[in-house]
Amino acid sequence: MTDIQIERADGRASALAAGSARRLLAGIRFVAPVFGMLLVWELVVRAGLVDGRVLPPPSLIAARGFEMVFDTEHAVLLQHIGHSLYRAVAAFAIAVVVALPLGFWLGLNRTAYNWISPILSVLLPLPAVAWTPIFLVTLGHGDATIISVCFLGAVFPVLYSTIQGVRAIPPHTIWVVRSMGAPRHAIFTKVLVPASLPTVMTGFKLGLAHSWRTLVAAEMLAALSYGLGYMIFAARQYMDTQTMFVGIVLLAMLGFIFEHFLFGTVERATIRRWYAHHRKGG
Amino acid sequence: MTDIASSPACTASRRAFLTRRNREKWMAWLRPVISISVPLLIWELASRLGWINSFLFPPPSQILTALWVQAGPQGRPPYAIFYHVFASMMRIVIGVGLALVVGTVVGMLIALTAWGRAIFRPIISAIMPVPTLAWTPVLLLVFGIDNRTTITVVLIATSFEIIYNVVAGLDMLSKRVFWVARSMGASHTQTFFKVIVPGVLPYLITGLRIGIGFAWRALIAAEMLAASSYGLGFMIFDAAEYFNIDIIFGGIMLIAILGLLLENVVLGRLEAATIKRWGVQVER
Repeated sequence: MTDIQIERADGRASALAAGSARRLLAGIRFVAPVFGMLLVWELVVRAGLVDGRVLPPPSLIAARGFEMVFDTEHAVLLQHIGHSLYRAVAAFAIAVVVALPLGFWLGLNRTAYNWISPILSVLLPLPAVAWTPIFLVTLGHGDATIISVCFLGAVFPVLYSTIQGVRAIPPHTIWVVRSMGAPRHAIFTKVLVPASLPTVMTGFKLGLAHSWRTLVAAEMLAALSYGLGYMIFAARQYMDTQTMFVGIVLLAMLGFIFEHFLFGTVERATIRRWYAHHRKGG
Repeated sequence: MTDIASSPACTASRRAFLTRRNREKWMAWLRPVISISVPLLIWELASRLGWINSFLFPPPSQILTALWVQAGPQGRPPYAIFYHVFASMMRIVIGVGLALVVGTVVGMLIALTAWGRAIFRPIISAIMPVPTLAWTPVLLLVFGIDNRTTITVVLIATSFEIIYNVVAGLDMLSKRVFWVARSMGASHTQTFFKVIVPGVLPYLITGLRIGIGFAWRALIAAEMLAASSYGLGFMIFDAAEYFNIDIIFGGIMLIAILGLLLENVVLGRLEAATIKRWGVQVER
């Protein structure tokens, strides 16, 4: 008995070791070509094949990035990041507050859905950035315009996913729970919310990603002083390509973190738990 | 059987059923018209009666008039709307055309060759999170204010989606299909045209449809930042500088309608046709 247990534990340990080795190898396989690309880029620029003023070598971009964080005279990078994050997250939060109740209402009420969906289908493919001129005229340059544009970028994916998620719930489920005498709020918290959550989460993910992607354009068009988009666009006037690439790299990294880590964690904390629980129950 | 069918009660209920279906069909047409025109009507009234600022929110009739004037010989420049629409369309067609070539080639390299997969996949996943428009300032430095800048933005916005779908399509083709084709004596060119192309085409068109949606968004923003004289994005941004609010709203309406047409009507039809022809439904 103990022998078998030990053997099992042994096997599990070796399997774990093999798993982590495989993960390490996959990591190397992923990172190596990126480093290769950076190396080729560096060499090509250093060798003078490409104009270093247009495409600065990665080493100089990294150096500029460090300078913008640690050098006290030029330490503006964190402020740019802070402003961008604040705008994107504020726009996303407003979008969620607006879209979630609206989405549940449209998902549950068939008549309302039939009447309002034509308007949504016209507004959905409209680029959020196209509203910028209107906001520029009414609200002027600054945070109000940028957050409004990003809000319009984020609200439709959240709304659309919420509607889809709620509409996909089979009515039988609601009937069954209701016939067992569940009160209305219980139907909401025990049926509607858990059942629509995976789709709603996808909408959140998309909404934040859209908010972030719209932010860049909105900041280029409407920011007065801070923000990564503003930083990139302002650097263009001084031909400061190193700063521009610092901004591009940061935009990519933060966007990546939003999409993969932030919502990955939220998903694990809610969906996996609830659905694993359901599976255990039968 | 005939007795029951021709009995008066049955025909009455059938007629009722038919008229109800008819009414449903009419409502399906009528509902979008009503639900879009009622808000416009309220807007018109509110603006005319002074409930909302009629300078910032001109009534829809005035917006349509402004568009009509700009589309005619009285516009500045004459027939301006057509130039703007043509400029935007030209950029999107060229950009998407280039993306189709680049995306298909890179997608096939990733899916069919080991070295292509090893090299391109990590690089693409490193570049993909960059918001497309963040490239605009760099492109402005390289190309200047020029069509090449906006076209390149469209190219970047579209190609990732096409690459993704081409790879997905090729991965879905199982190895067995290749083996069968090979064992039946198909040559390389035959395998390519009879197996790979029909297998990938539906995915390619789905990628194209989603990609064009992205491209349209990116193009409008890029035109605001980087177009010198024509394009719908340029038109609305330029109108904002002169406070021509009616032109801005008109431009937004045009952008919405053209986007809807491009994404859903033109490519939706194309997608439906390929699905019908090859019978592959793409799960997205």
